[in-house]
Amino acid sequence: MAVTLQDTSASAVIEARRAHNEKLALKADQTRATWFPVAVLAVLAALPLLQFYGNYNYVLHLVLFTASYVAMASGWNILGGFAGYVSLGHAVFFGVGGYFSGMILARYGISTLITAPLAGLVAAALGYLVGMVTLKVRGPSFIISSIALLMIARILFDNWHFIGGANGLTLPPNDLSVQWSKVPYYYAMVAIAAFTVWATYKIKHSKFGLGLRAISKDEIKAESAGIDTRFYKVVAFALSAFFVGMAGAVWGEYLTYLRPNIFLLILISANMVLMCILGGKGTIAGPVIGAILIVALNELFVATMGASEINILGTGLVMALGLMFFPLGLVGTLARNGKLPRILNWD
Amino acid sequence: MAEILQILILGLALGGVIALMGSGLSLVFGVMRIVNLAHPSLIIGGAYITYLAFKALGVDPIVMLPVAAVIMAAIGVVLYRLVFQREAKSAKYSEMTVLLTFALAMMVEGLLGGLFTNTQRVTSPDYATAAFFIGDVFIPKGQFYAGVVSLTIIAALSLFLKYSRLGYAIRATTQNREAAELLGVNVQFISILAFAIGIGLAGAAGSLVSFVFSFFPAKHWEWIAMLMSVVVLGGMGSILGTVVGALFLSVVAAFVGTWIGATWSTLTFFLALFIILLVRPQGLFGEKPELA
Repeated sequence: MAVTLQDTSASAVIEARRAHNEKLALKADQTRATWFPVAVLAVLAALPLLQFYGNYNYVLHLVLFTASYVAMASGWNILGGFAGYVSLGHAVFFGVGGYFSGMILARYGISTLITAPLAGLVAAALGYLVGMVTLKVRGPSFIISSIALLMIARILFDNWHFIGGANGLTLPPNDLSVQWSKVPYYYAMVAIAAFTVWATYKIKHSKFGLGLRAISKDEIKAESAGIDTRFYKVVAFALSAFFVGMAGAVWGEYLTYLRPNIFLLILISANMVLMCILGGKGTIAGPVIGAILIVALNELFVATMGASEINILGTGLVMALGLMFFPLGLVGTLARNGKLPRILNWD
Repeated sequence: MAEILQILILGLALGGVIALMGSGLSLVFGVMRIVNLAHPSLIIGGAYITYLAFKALGVDPIVMLPVAAVIMAAIGVVLYRLVFQREAKSAKYSEMTVLLTFALAMMVEGLLGGLFTNTQRVTSPDYATAAFFIGDVFIPKGQFYAGVVSLTIIAALSLFLKYSRLGYAIRATTQNREAAELLGVNVQFISILAFAIGIGLAGAAGSLVSFVFSFFPAKHWEWIAMLMSVVVLGGMGSILGTVVGALFLSVVAAFVGTWIGATWSTLTFFLALFIILLVRPQGLFGEKPELA
């Protein structure tokens, strides 16, 4: 509807703006290649059929591993990418999710595939509490406090005998044959990853997501524009912990053991950060691209050189070069130059 | 009573070493606003230099200290030129440098791990295992020497900052970068100098650490939170604050370790960091941090 100069009543202006926004959204929808993610999911869903023709466990493992990192990096992106609060302690939520569901499996025999959302909620609750405390500080202080959180969690888990201490806990494997034993976790992890990516898209385009992006640009201005920044940040922290916790739950049963030195590693936190930076912080497709790149690089390093030290060195080197030369990440840089292929424009 | 005195002395000796480990971190933050997460990994680099000299040539770690400091300072200049100089104009400078130094820490860890494997190492000069006794109180020589050397170096550093012209320039740059530049301070040079001194202090601390703690490449993750808590408690950028924070927290940790359990003594530092960040983020001697 058209607004004339005389017709300045507030509701008319709002109505006109809404119509304009819908038109823009419609235009974006028309250029969006929605078929691409759907096609990828269809291929991934059909992939286990390969098992009828031979043993492709390694392929399934790689996809599962990538999917777990897609979920974690996308989850991290909610806090680190949208709100701009870089956390190096998100491995804590991976561990908490894994241990919560793993303990239930060990005690009551309920599969983590069922309890994973619950594990996510527990991680989110912890994230909420921690966020209430640490999100009072920002910038470098927040990053440091997140490292301290990881260190505290590591010491607590190493010394908590109820959950096996530093030796950890062995979980019962499932009864399926070797050929099919990975498949349930495969589907669960791909589903979690897809759900996480979809959820980050929804969050980014909600009023909440807009608030988070305002916070990352300028927190004081965001506050004075009427955004409850404290609440927004803490909820963002909880949401991002939720997805990381779910991934941790399934990952624990898949590995069949829980140990602090597998879950509570700073390298896991670093990987989440690295994937988002490489792919593009704050974009939807960025963490996905970053996860695929890093897992591929990891496999290459381990396959060709076989040493975990080289892996750490390589991770650090890629991170430093990415930060120095492509701070916007792959998706961000391409988008800025207007060269982003349509199939990767998920924002 | 003797027990309390004993714990106090052990805590103070360790605190001296930790103060030296943290002072470089504090200086670099003060002048350049870089939270150098790679600092502890560079300390371990200094420790390996000392270790090599000790094993191959039998050089005493304390004699090796100036050499390790100079080598690390040179590495610091290269790092600053290569990495941090170009970031100076970045919009998210402080966050960017934290992530960059984090990446650097991983690179140093991976490099040292590839060269020396992840075995625990320690240099063993005669005094590392010896001790003197004053009455009932037992003072391990290694920790005592290390503490004394540390505090001497810090005292020298403070005098340098307080009375030399370069020291004035460094302090001026810490207080207000733009104003210092207006008054004719070559801020670029001062930044490189301060960074080199900071990393050189890491090398010096590495030499002392080599016989006080056992070390391996991945150990720096334990130290970063410990050093951060010391530096944050004292107030980022304040050397005096770092010393006070280090002495105080290591004495507390020593009491916790003796009376509650050794596992919990490390936890003291991490919890302290958490509490300080919440209650008084600017620390004891720091100024209120800018909001950005």
